[in-house]
Amino acid sequence: MAALVRGGASALELGFPFSDPIADGTVLEAAHDRALRNGTTWDDLQRACRVASARLPVAVMTYANPLWHRGLDRAIRELARSGATGLIVPDLSYEERGPFVRSARAHGLALVLLGAPGIAAARMRAIASSARGFVYLVGQYGTTGTARAGARVDLRPLVRAARAGADGRPVLLGFGVRDRTTAARALASGADGVIVGTALEERLERRAAPAELERWIRSIASARPSSGARASPTPKRAVAVRRP
Amino acid sequence: MARRYGPYGGAYVPETLVPALEELEATWRSARRDPAFRAELKRRATTYAGRPTPLYLAERLTRRAGGARIWLKREDLVHGGAHKLNNALGQGLLAVRMGKRRLIAETGAGQHGVATALVGAALGLATDVYMGEVDMARQRPNVERMRLLGARVVPVRSGRRTLKEAINAALRDWIATVRTTHYVLGSAVGPHPFPSVVADFQSVIGREIRRQSVRSFGRLPDLAIACVGGGSNAIGTFHPLLRTPVELWGVEAAGPRGSSHGAASLTRGAPGILHGSLSYVLQNAEGQVADTESISAGLDYAGVGPEHAYLRDTGRVRYLAVHDADALRAFHWLARDEGILPALEPAHAIYAAVGAARRRPARQNIVVTLSGRGDKDLEVVLDAAR
Repeated sequence: MAALVRGGASALELGFPFSDPIADGTVLEAAHDRALRNGTTWDDLQRACRVASARLPVAVMTYANPLWHRGLDRAIRELARSGATGLIVPDLSYEERGPFVRSARAHGLALVLLGAPGIAAARMRAIASSARGFVYLVGQYGTTGTARAGARVDLRPLVRAARAGADGRPVLLGFGVRDRTTAARALASGADGVIVGTALEERLERRAAPAELERWIRSIASARPSSGARASPTPKRAVAVRRP
Repeated sequence: MARRYGPYGGAYVPETLVPALEELEATWRSARRDPAFRAELKRRATTYAGRPTPLYLAERLTRRAGGARIWLKREDLVHGGAHKLNNALGQGLLAVRMGKRRLIAETGAGQHGVATALVGAALGLATDVYMGEVDMARQRPNVERMRLLGARVVPVRSGRRTLKEAINAALRDWIATVRTTHYVLGSAVGPHPFPSVVADFQSVIGREIRRQSVRSFGRLPDLAIACVGGGSNAIGTFHPLLRTPVELWGVEAAGPRGSSHGAASLTRGAPGILHGSLSYVLQNAEGQVADTESISAGLDYAGVGPEHAYLRDTGRVRYLAVHDADALRAFHWLARDEGILPALEPAHAIYAAVGAARRRPARQNIVVTLSGRGDKDLEVVLDAAR
């Protein structure tokens, strides 16, 4: 964690493992599986939140069912109490947000909402305006960790629509960001910052040294938009990690 | 076309899938009202799928039970060997209407995979079917059939390597290929509008049961029974009967004796969100989806369609669970008494039907949906006998 902070990470996304992580590609799916086989519980998540939130703002990532089964209100209250400031639910589509928005508001947790390529601009604006904390833009057609060259999409219209609804809240781009080049491309589309998940998980899995992690994060944090686009004002960076 | 059934249903999916779901709903609504679409579906259902299927009086099985008359709705006679084609055909035609050039599907027992492969071939669409490795081993004939029909069968190696993992893999593919590909979801589960679309295409079963019952014995049946995995043949059986006095039973898999929950989501599960909808799910205290056990691949699923969740809560349908050994018993009864080899899935319903018939007077009529034939299960049945 210290390495991530030194490298310039501005926040941490802490993932709760789920048995059926449909939005995740093979690397993170394997991470979920490992965490479950290690017996990770909701209590473990709360403990991890307490530790991590001392260093960086923490957003918890969990699929909908663990929250639902525990009781939305109870689960969200527990996350807020353990120091998390944000919540990300990757299988929560806009129409289903109601009960989650209400519980998050009641307990002072920012419910981050996600947008994706292919959705209408009006929908993106509506999602952005309901989102709290930040707007999470999924940068490609695919699960996490798939940075396929052929899958590249022009995200500028989506980012514009997100900013139009976000009312000053940051618009962050994730899925497929793994290094300086991909980060720069993300910023060139107009995003305020990036989220890195799979690439971090890969490094953690092969036990990369803290110095390497720090260098790698710093290279991402120092990325500037690729040529041809305006520089984003005061870029913020968020870093995602899924914890066993 | 309810988005929800009581509190159940909805579309809990990543936003990437929302445009495809909206497109599917709009296409389905317009197709339903389009006489040309309905005529085309009917033409293929009759000339290709072999509808209508017979309603058959199982005289010797009835005699074994010694009570009410047992009628079999012969969905095992649908081309491909199961009711799955009713839905695959409808969704295949919707895919063409949407201009998609590829179909993907998940499959447990392989019947839905085969049905999708058939449709892909007949409509000229590339087809990929996701199947858990464990299921591929226990339903091998279906794997070979899919390949011969020109489909690619993609083995799924994660988790327990059965139906739930195949659905995950198909959903992940769809998230990436959503612009060119239609996901032919095989059961009454998943995000809206799938449960409604599947129920709509499978309702041909219940509509025929109504007509054929009146023709065969002058009135509606007293009781209709169907097996429930995801719930498609059951919801197709039940839909046209919901607002009638017909009693309805759904039969889930209790798995091997001693199993704490088998795959009986409605009888042993709790409300939860899996594969895009809020329904009943077998899960542990942390909200992790449970491992399921059943001798029948098609019932071996921790979730169930959201409409069934609602019908359970309202009491309109009674849900019960039957163990592996009893399903096998019923397989042999049907084989010896009627010369029909049922798929292991509906064998669960047959077992329940015999139990029900035993306790009812001879003037009553029980209709059981025989959702598929048992060729795919011969190895499993023979293994169990050893």
